[in-house]
This record gives sequence, structure tokens and C-alpha cells, in this order.
Amino acid sequence: MADDSGDGDDNGGTDRVVPALAGFGRELRAAGLPVGTGQVVSFCEGLTRLDPTDLRDVYWSGRACLVSRHDDLAAYDDAFARYFLGQAARGLVVAGDGTAAVDEALPSLHAPGPVAGTERAARQREIGHVASDFELLRAKDFADCDPDELAAIGRLLAGLVIATPWRKSRRTQRARKGQRPDLRRALRAHVRDGAVHRIPRRRPRVRPRPLVLLLDVSGSMSAYSRALLQFAYAVARGPGRVEVFCFGTRLTRVSSALARRDPDEALRQAAEAVVDWEGGTRIGESLHEYLRSWAWRGGCRGAVVVICSDGLERGDPDVLAAAMARLARLAYRIVWVNPLKAGPAYEPATRGMRAALPHIDLLVSGHNLTSLTDLATVIEMFD
Amino acid sequence: MSASGDGRPARPKSVEDVSARLGEQAYLADRGLGTAIFLSLSLGQPLLLEGEAGVGKTEVAKALAPALGAELVRLQCYEGIDAHQALYEWDYTRQLLYVRLLQEGGDLREDAADEIFGPRFLVERPLLQAVRAGDRAVLLIDEIDRADDEFEAFLLEMLSDFQVTVPELGTIRAERPPAVVLTSNRTRELHDALKRRCLYHWIDYPSPEREVEIIAARAPSVPHDLARRVAGAVERIRTLDLVKRPGVAETIEWAKALAFLGADRLEHDSVEVTLGTVVKDHDDLVRIRDDLGRILADG
Repeated sequence: MADDSGDGDDNGGTDRVVPALAGFGRELRAAGLPVGTGQVVSFCEGLTRLDPTDLRDVYWSGRACLVSRHDDLAAYDDAFARYFLGQAARGLVVAGDGTAAVDEALPSLHAPGPVAGTERAARQREIGHVASDFELLRAKDFADCDPDELAAIGRLLAGLVIATPWRKSRRTQRARKGQRPDLRRALRAHVRDGAVHRIPRRRPRVRPRPLVLLLDVSGSMSAYSRALLQFAYAVARGPGRVEVFCFGTRLTRVSSALARRDPDEALRQAAEAVVDWEGGTRIGESLHEYLRSWAWRGGCRGAVVVICSDGLERGDPDVLAAAMARLARLAYRIVWVNPLKAGPAYEPATRGMRAALPHIDLLVSGHNLTSLTDLATVIEMFD
Repeated sequence: MSASGDGRPARPKSVEDVSARLGEQAYLADRGLGTAIFLSLSLGQPLLLEGEAGVGKTEVAKALAPALGAELVRLQCYEGIDAHQALYEWDYTRQLLYVRLLQEGGDLREDAADEIFGPRFLVERPLLQAVRAGDRAVLLIDEIDRADDEFEAFLLEMLSDFQVTVPELGTIRAERPPAVVLTSNRTRELHDALKRRCLYHWIDYPSPEREVEIIAARAPSVPHDLARRVAGAVERIRTLDLVKRPGVAETIEWAKALAFLGADRLEHDSVEVTLGTVVKDHDDLVRIRDDLGRILADG
């Protein structure tokens, strides 16, 4: 450990290691970590105050300077082992002090492929006839749509905006009428005019409530998954905070993937993130996982929660009931979108639906474009 | 520990020095955290701490301030916080009263405005305090993830040049910037630009051995054997599927409560009455009661 905290120029060894350290920065970038030049400079500069020959110092200062997300720590550990220890081994142990076990489940299954760029242009020419029969398409069940029609629906959905109901924020804004006097403006008026004739007012500003979408991508929902993901992409463009999760046997957050501007790229990334396309369904456990890892941190409290699933639960319905009860306590409103509801004789009789039903504010079908646009209107009207 | 001109201890010289000084404040930092703090101080970059709730993120700043002989300036973020609540505000009520007073005395002069918008009526908020104090302060920006994006952008600007402009008074600049610690519970992803400005450290739950040391440092009245058993039980509790896993603060509270009851081991009865200090959610309590036998395995 270097004990001098003076400038690093007198640390003779540094000049030689800088290229190696910079190379580590490139290695991390290649591994997908967003490492900026400024961060690499900090890393090199920081090591001049430490001992660049002590791997533990290199490890920890690199972790502090080059990583800025918890999710990237595993990739950092991998890259560190590869670059400095020359091994692709996982479960690297840094000198008994910092343990960096890596246990990363790689996506084993892939989504039904999104339309690739070149194909897209060709398909765009083909869909002329589909778009012309707009009304027909709006009412057509997603399960009966071919890929071209789904692509067209995606474009129609892109124009959809879900505005969530409003809630009061702690901030205030100027108003003619309001609870609080605006002392700041009163003073200005006083200084300007010598008197205050009418006390200016402020009232709480209002903000849209957060929206949480939980999409079932299990096998029984496969006919609808793609359309619902497109729906989610459109909704994620809404005014408030929107969080989107997919689940089958496990839960995946796709909000950040869907935040991309290019819809195909966004859907592709989201589809890649989900590991259990068309697998089984464990709604209760997935909701539980959502509540455990995401809900308490915010995003759910006071939110409008939309769950899209056919309710064909393979897991324990009691777990689902417990998760729904907790969700109902946190959320502002819960909407359940169930494509099976479109059938004329539908009764929410499955074990899963029966468990969830007491906690749902609204059950809609969402099996075609019309019902999804209706859903948008309904959510807006909640209050 | 050498002292600088004004009697305060000098900045730490090594990672070991950082850990030793935090240790004097009863905060046990591992090598990773020590390195991150040391680098943050020597490079003058803010330190962003993330981790589960209750692993002691805020405590780092609270211990760091006395360790550096500095004052702790805390900015608690919340939804809707704006620049004024963080920087400064004018004391409008007093200003209005003062104007009224001048009017009645008939000496409302040309330069009254200068006086009204002068230091007398300025209410300093944490960021201005920290800029004024410079390196005599440790600035803690707590739960930054609760604030809005706009506030984050404002903070980014603030953290890069440490100067505040009050239009009526002029610009105030920190000669030597304060040490800055930001904490986040990851309720949302922070902006990349802000993260790039900061050094990053993820604080994990401590290992049981470490937690025993922490209990010993924080609650010296707790017998060692009890501390060891409590730490073991908390570790098992954390592996359960809970809504809110207990943090280090909860471990300490539990150990204290048990020691207060005179327990030297984990017995069913004393655990039953003190469980509320570790687990604060009804569903979790039910879960743990179900599993109590396993949790108290070596009690």
C-alpha cells in the first residue's frame, strides 16, 4: 500500500501500468459496461495514490471508479478475472477479502423473433391492404392475426397514449385560488406597488400517477404476448413513470429495454431480456417476486397496476391470493386484462382468477386493438 | 494522526487510515468501502453508495464527518424537492414585516431593497451551507433516488463546480470542495451523467462474523455469545423470502433488546417478544414464526 498521498508523479511504476489499466477500461466496454474516459482517468489517478501492483487495490479502485451500476458488478468481476488473472473462471475470490461470486443465469430461451430491419421494409409494402381494412383489424382477435397484421397493430398502438389519473405532488404552483398564500409573490408586489391588494395563492401541483404493467408471456398467452409487448412499448411513452415487467415462471423487468426510441430495437431488447417465453405460468410467485424486489422501492405505491394474463395458474393459488392482497394495499387501482374474457361464456372460474378476483378493480379482455384502446380510456377515467 | 493548520485532523493518507478513523467512530468499513472513500477524498469526487435498505449507507457519512473533523451537512431528498429547498430561500414573512416596519417609520429608502435581499433575510439550506463550509463539511445527499430528474440535473451542475449564485448577493464558491456522499435505494436508476461524476460502491449485508464485530462496536453491552447467536439468526432470516429483509440497524436493536431482557442465548420466549425489533411487517412476522425452530438452530 503506497502511503504517500502527494501527487502521483513520483510513483515511478505508474507510467508503465497506465496502458494496462486503460486496456482494462476497453475490456469492460467490450463486456458491455458503459465506461467513460473520465472514469478511466479517475481509475489511473486513483491508483497512483494506492499500490498499482497490489491486485486488491486494483480490484477495489476499479470497482469504485469504473462501475456505476449494481447490475454490472458481475460483469466487472468476470472481466477482471479475464484481464488480470487470465482466466474465464467464475467465482473469483480476491485475496480472501472481496468475494465476487458470479451466478448469472443466461437467457436459455429466446423470444419469437422481432421483425428484422430488411424484412421490415418488405413487409411494410405488403401491409397496405391490411391498413385499408382498418376497422376489421381493430376488432380482430390478436390470436387470429398473422405477423403482418401484428406489425400493423404495433404501428397503430404506437399512437396510443395512456394517461394515468393525477395525484397531488408536494410541489406547489401559482394559482388564482389555493390553500397557501404565495409570500414570495406577495413580497414582490409589496416592493413594487407599496401594498398588497390581493394575496397571491399557490396550490399543489398535480402529477400523473405511476403505471405498472405486468405481462404474462407464458405458453398459454403466446398468441397475445407480442401484441401486449407492443402495447407496453406504446404505454411506456406515456407522460408519467411507467414500469413494465414480463413474467412466466420468473419475472423480468423490461422497462429500460422498452425505453429505446426505435420500436423494433426496443422490442428486440425486451424480448431478449425475457428468459422464459412460452414456458409455464407461476403468476403468484412472479407477483410475489415483483412485490419483493420492486414494489417496496416505489413505483407501485399509488400506481395504477395493469396485469395482463389469462389467469391459468400452475402454482399455488394461495400464493397468488396473498400477493394480490398485498398488491391491492400498495396500488391505487388494479386492472386485470384477460384475453379469455372475450369469449361469450367466459366465467373467471380458474383457480388463479378466483384467487385474484377479490382484489381486482376492473377486469377487461384486451384481446384486440379496440379493447386495448378502450382500456387506455378507462384507466384515464379512474378517480 | 497529524493535524492541519486549523486544528482539524489531516485528510487520510491511506486506505488503512480511513478504516482506522471510521473504526474510532464505531463504523467498521471493509476494504472495498475503505478504498472507495479514500479515493473519493483524494480525487475530490463524490461517492455514490447503493445497497439494500439498512446496510448502513447513511451511517458512512455520519461516521465520516467526525473522522475528518468536519461538520455533517445533510440534504434529505424527497419527491418534489426543488433547488430552493436545497440551496437557499428568502424569509418572506420576516421580509414583509420588515417592509411594513420601514413604511410605518416613514424611512422606506431607495436602498431598502438591498437590505431586504441581504444576508439578514437569507435562509441557508444544506447545499449553500456546504458550499460555505467547503472542506470543513461532509455533505450527505440522502436518498437521491427519491428526488426528480430535474433535481438530479441541478445537483450534477452543483457538484461539478461547487458554486452558488444568489442573484441579489453574488456568487459564493467553495475554495476547497466538501467531501460528498450520495446514497440511493435504487427505487429508480440514476442518470448516467451523475453516476459518471461519482465513485460507486455497493454495500452488501455484512457476513455474520462482521456483524458480530459491528454489534460489539455499536452495542458494547451485548455479551459476545449473544451477539454471535443473533448475527447467525439474522443471517438465516435474511435467506427467507421476506418483504423487507432486516438491516444492520435491526440486528443491533435486536441484540440490545435481548441483552436488556438479560438473555444470553436465543430462547423461544424472549425471541417471541423481541421479534418486532428485527421484522417490521406482519406477513414477515408470520413467516418467521412458522420457521422459528430452524432460525434459532444454534440458539
